[in-house]
Amino acid sequence: MKLNKMSWKFITINLILMISALNSNRLTAFEGDLVRVKNLSGTWKFSIGEREEWISAEYDDTDWESIQVPSPWENQGFYGYNGFGFYRKTFTISNEYRENGLYLILGYIDDVDETYLNGQKIGSTGTFPPIYATAYNAKRVYRIPKELINYNGLNILAVKVYDSYQAGGIVGGDIGIYVNPFEIPVDLSLEGEWKFKLGDELGRKSVTYNDSQWDKILVPAKWEDKGYRDYDGYAWYRKSFYYKGTFSDETIVLVLGKIDDVDEVYVNGVKVGMTGDFVDRENQKLPTGEHYQALRGYYFSTKLLKSNQKNTIAVRVYDSGGDGGIYEGPVGLVSQTRYIEYWRKRKQLKGW
Amino acid sequence: MNRRCKYRYRIGVRVVILLIIFCGFIRAEAEDLKRIILLSGNWKFSVGDYHAWANPGFNDSEWDVIEVPGKWEDYGYSDYNGYAWYRKNFTIQNVDENTVLYLVFGRIDDSDEVYLNGKKLSGSGSMPPNFRTAYNERRKYPIPKEYLNYTGTNTLAVRVYDCYLDGGIIDGPVGIYVDEDNNLLDLDLSGQWKFHLGDNKQWKAGAFNDELWTAITVPSDWEHQGFDEYNGYAWYRRKFKLSANLKNKPLYLILGKIDDNDYVYLNGELIGSVFELEKDGEYKRKGYEYNARRIYKIPQEYLNQNGSNTIAIRVFDSGLRGGIYECPIGLMTEINCRQYRRKHYENQSFWDFIIEEFLID
Repeated sequence: MKLNKMSWKFITINLILMISALNSNRLTAFEGDLVRVKNLSGTWKFSIGEREEWISAEYDDTDWESIQVPSPWENQGFYGYNGFGFYRKTFTISNEYRENGLYLILGYIDDVDETYLNGQKIGSTGTFPPIYATAYNAKRVYRIPKELINYNGLNILAVKVYDSYQAGGIVGGDIGIYVNPFEIPVDLSLEGEWKFKLGDELGRKSVTYNDSQWDKILVPAKWEDKGYRDYDGYAWYRKSFYYKGTFSDETIVLVLGKIDDVDEVYVNGVKVGMTGDFVDRENQKLPTGEHYQALRGYYFSTKLLKSNQKNTIAVRVYDSGGDGGIYEGPVGLVSQTRYIEYWRKRKQLKGW
Repeated sequence: MNRRCKYRYRIGVRVVILLIIFCGFIRAEAEDLKRIILLSGNWKFSVGDYHAWANPGFNDSEWDVIEVPGKWEDYGYSDYNGYAWYRKNFTIQNVDENTVLYLVFGRIDDSDEVYLNGKKLSGSGSMPPNFRTAYNERRKYPIPKEYLNYTGTNTLAVRVYDCYLDGGIIDGPVGIYVDEDNNLLDLDLSGQWKFHLGDNKQWKAGAFNDELWTAITVPSDWEHQGFDEYNGYAWYRRKFKLSANLKNKPLYLILGKIDDNDYVYLNGELIGSVFELEKDGEYKRKGYEYNARRIYKIPQEYLNQNGSNTIAIRVFDSGLRGGIYECPIGLMTEINCRQYRRKHYENQSFWDFIIEEFLID
């Protein structure tokens, strides 16, 4: 077959597109595992502008316009509109997914969004003006914290969008609620708000360290999506929690999902594990490689935990480039017995 | 094929033949291991970590079955990182109790601890919290004979920790081996020696009391025996008596390979050091002391023909693995020693070989 100039051009463009797609959207193995259980494409409620009360689950949006999702709002009567817009949608979710990890996929949003479920923020990508930063080419995959879901009644999604120019809104993708059938179960979830600070200092591992002045960050999420754009280097995460009752096992597993790139983990000041080296001891090279893809499950003795008292987990992270942080869940504590059961069952689920 | 081509072809063949011969001499195997029990195949497997899983009596019938060698990611445990255990039973038959046996695994990713019949045999790398990988090291663990059941079932339990990517007993060979070179020993001195970290000139003396010293298995590096990441000086001591057939014969002290360098004392007198081997053709390049086979001629006048003799070895390790770590340990008579040398032509040039083989004999 002889290729003419046009086909070469076509191939080159395709290659460039493929490579850039690979770079901007590192499709993780787990995204391939997700199964859609609720299709949310179709008719949504829409209004241009933005108001605080539109976030609220109680807000009455009956007077709003109807809009098709996914599609740029320019195609649906808002031609030439740039600025803020609000999307709202109600849905139900069956009780049978109570044990599964749930995700909201909003596909691609042009340019920036902040997403709320039942009045609580579950994710955001890009930054609104005045420090505007687009994220039009980032796929929105938001983990839904279980405690926010109303399994018996209606759930209300509210998506605040900002578009700077040309196409705007929820523009593409397979929108819906997804489950991860292979989600690791946890007995005590540690997802949600953690304390976060850039830089490095080993004193931050200790229980008594004062982190009250630290920033708050949502875990799991890439720190790039949480206001730390383009930051590479060291950062620390801290989470304090009360641990009631006892675990029957001597050993417990701290599941930390996936971390970009390397990490070192302390429970009440005691190191329990690490993935990757902060500095390659032999070559004095900074870490690279595939650590970011490794699922973290750190075994430690339950003796380290204090019953009915404050316990602190501190995670030292180093990101060598690109995305950074504890970026994928689940995050929590699980008894060893349940963890082992999970891995045995998972093998069967995967068709072994 | 034209003539010119044919000519080139012939030269090519000659060069290849020469290269094969030459490589044969310089690429001699470090050890002459022979497998007596094959342990690859199906093993019992479970993720998780309970110390009770080391016990031979533990009931693993509910466990999964996995192929060894292989990465567990290929057997349904993709994405699993952390602890997992492997268990397998075996029997040994027609093996003399004095034969030194080695448990060999090609590679384990990342670190491991091996239990035989409930007793900890050895390990490589280290487990969290101070995790250290050993994924690219071959495992060769000497098996103390008192750990083995020569008449019934033996249970191996391998605790593995994987940090990321591939995990498990990922490469063969997997089995129990004997070192054929051990047959050349006239007196086998492998096994338990006395061991002490540090450096003290008094420790060379035959009469020195080393009763309180730690016991250590020789050959096997000290990193595998509780002295993880220790670098520096350490001493080994061991006593022996000559059997009747060895009395008044020229003898050689064979000390396997030592990482990195050594000074060897017999009854308080210096009889050799790796730095002396230079003249011997065995050790040529500085920095490669760890790879030199220790063969020391024993001066007759220092040897106690009837009573007890003491070997004291001062070892210095400059980094990574340390100690008397592999190959035969003991005494050889002249004829066996010559055969031992001949089997291992490492660092011996082609011309040294020609001279020794054809001109000296």
